[in-house]
Amino acid sequence: MEFSLSEEQQLLKDSIARFVEREYGFDKRQKIVAEDAGFSDANWRIFTDMGWLMLGLPEDKGGLGGSPVDTAIVMEEFGKALILEPYLHVAIMAARILIEAGDSSGLIDAIGTGTAKPVLAHSEADAYNALNWVQTRAEKLTGAWKLTGQKSLVHAAVFATHIIVSARTSGKAGDADGISLFLVAPDADGLSRVDARLADNSRASELTFSNCDATLIGQEGAALPVIETAYAHATVALCAEAVGAMDKALWTTRDYLQTREQFGQAIGSFQSLQHRMADMLIELEMARSQVYRGLAFLGSDPATRDQAISSMKVQIGRSIKFTGYQSIQLHGGIGMTEDYLIGHYFKRLHMIDNALGTVGTHLGRMAEIERRAA
Amino acid sequence: VDFTFDPTDEAFREEIRTWVRANLPADLAEKSRKQFHLSWHEISRWVALLNADGKGWGVPNWSVELGGPGWSLMQQYIFEEVLIEEDAPSIDVGGAKMIGPIINNFGSADQRERFIKPWMEGKQRYAQGFSEPNAGSDLAALTTTARRVPSVSGDGDDYIINGRKIWTSGGHYSDWIYCLVKTDMAAKQRGISLIMVPLKVPGVTIRPIIDIAEEHNLNEVFFDDVRTSAANLIGEENKGWTYAKSLLESERALSGEAPRNRRYLQILKKIARDRTRCGVPLIEDHAFGARIAQLESDLNSLEWMTLRALTAKAGGDFALPLGSILKVRGSELLQKITELHIEALGDHGHYVHHADDSSGTVPGPDYAPGLLNDFMYRRATTIYGGSNEIQRTIIARQFLGL
Repeated sequence: MEFSLSEEQQLLKDSIARFVEREYGFDKRQKIVAEDAGFSDANWRIFTDMGWLMLGLPEDKGGLGGSPVDTAIVMEEFGKALILEPYLHVAIMAARILIEAGDSSGLIDAIGTGTAKPVLAHSEADAYNALNWVQTRAEKLTGAWKLTGQKSLVHAAVFATHIIVSARTSGKAGDADGISLFLVAPDADGLSRVDARLADNSRASELTFSNCDATLIGQEGAALPVIETAYAHATVALCAEAVGAMDKALWTTRDYLQTREQFGQAIGSFQSLQHRMADMLIELEMARSQVYRGLAFLGSDPATRDQAISSMKVQIGRSIKFTGYQSIQLHGGIGMTEDYLIGHYFKRLHMIDNALGTVGTHLGRMAEIERRAA
Repeated sequence: VDFTFDPTDEAFREEIRTWVRANLPADLAEKSRKQFHLSWHEISRWVALLNADGKGWGVPNWSVELGGPGWSLMQQYIFEEVLIEEDAPSIDVGGAKMIGPIINNFGSADQRERFIKPWMEGKQRYAQGFSEPNAGSDLAALTTTARRVPSVSGDGDDYIINGRKIWTSGGHYSDWIYCLVKTDMAAKQRGISLIMVPLKVPGVTIRPIIDIAEEHNLNEVFFDDVRTSAANLIGEENKGWTYAKSLLESERALSGEAPRNRRYLQILKKIARDRTRCGVPLIEDHAFGARIAQLESDLNSLEWMTLRALTAKAGGDFALPLGSILKVRGSELLQKITELHIEALGDHGHYVHHADDSSGTVPGPDYAPGLLNDFMYRRATTIYGGSNEIQRTIIARQFLGL
């Protein structure tokens, strides 16, 4: 076993760290937040030029054939700077959906070259991360597919070039079979969008489809395993981001405890706060260990893989609830202010805890896989 | 030991409830129901209503002689419970439990006339000026100064205030700020005085602090040669620390916010009954139901600890560090419940929405807006009012003798 980065991976990490230092100081980030889209085209071009968007794509689709470890490195570094651009949603989630669905339309290549930004619209408000809970329906009318239904919390839909929508072509909500994937143009007739800003200043939308034109991608009725695999990849990436964000939050807090004085001494000299920070580090390193573990099992059979993914997300949630939350507590009043960076780490970490399944959801899935195995 | 409630307390509860239902303005109820903060105009309307006709309900902890209703601790607790249950705004806590009692106890008759009366009528509001950038948990380290000089008119003395205060809730709509200031630069805690300083005068600069709920409630207040009459000094010079300490320790039985915790748990149950996961109400999910049950058990502990505090007598529980025990548990429980609010809302728990948003509503059920803001805002409960670290130190040092 070897947990240290290869020379190439170290170079990748360093290049992202340099980008972050140059382009993603807190003030620069706040300027992006203030823009309507909450997103910087210029940064997306840098992602393209640096090859980060094609990093995880297969070589026969114009990609660099990198492994999920490589994209996890990107996400961890992005987490340290609270990157707003939807790398996770486009270059990992949507790309993985297209790869697993065997798409050969050229859309995967276009992600890598920055010319397309597809996003996935899968979640429905009633699903709470049960991936088979799809009520949106697709019907074939006079040779063309038409979608009807609602999707919630569609990240980055505001600037997506394509929407990948899951819908039922047969069966009922909760069935494993009968889910299919479709491609929809963002300006398609019958698609309406309500945009909103989220707590971490990213953007998401509720999409309503009524008899909306759509093109089938992949095999009809067999999309669930594709979605499950893409979610597994996205969850590892998200957890890597959480590790980066917690790492930065922890050291920012450590620095504060060294400089903030009360009762005539640095508050970091108080043993109770030292112990708190020691526990924050323990939680962070447990989280990091599970991200390694999640990466190790990403290619395993679905049951083994999903056990590992859920186990990882449970640890991440627990670590966030301690390390993320304590980073505000130890800052005191300053931690509560919007103008200071630590609150933004808290918000992003809180959202990660709730994204792609909560601790409760993943504990439930672990128990269910265990029951099925018995 | 007797576990029965006094039957007159139940009659009291009904009396309060009947009045609130008949008199609570619908717009205030709507805003409170969504846990949004009230504007000054709204607070003052509510304060005036509570105090109207000599009721004095805006000062539930005050004696009849001082204009309050003369309620027992238990009655004050029931009053707080009913307000929260009925989605009524809370009283103006700073006035009723902080500066009001200090002026009543240590101020002059003239000060009671000038400060207490207009406040009770909802015509004036006072901000608290204790914390400074370098004096948070360590309040004695404050550096804002008050220098006594003859007044310009030659009629008595003035104090000239210089320095800055921070985390000033409602400072932007307050008329005065009750400040802890240094009047004796050499002495430490003994050299601190409590002075009313006008906010709407030259030399005062108020800088808004936007909190992580994206709301403007807090401020930083700068004083640059601001004059206040020596007639605004509360009590004696250099005794401010003693006065402030006496009020920081008062009202300790209510510091657990048990009624608010109860209300928030009800909101959680309502969400869990209304929202469905894969067609089944969340509340029927065994794991989720167990987590609600755990919070309910925590709340029951808090409520009965509060009942002990409300009825504590010398020689019994009175000696316990009740305020600190309740503050620690109550604030941490409030945070846990709000975490579950967001989790229970699922995909609809993350949209930012503000009370004054004119851009229409965000997606999701009508009870969702406000809960995210409140989740963020409640991160402060374990920081403000004496951080939980400070409370634990009080328990260890003052009670356990460590």
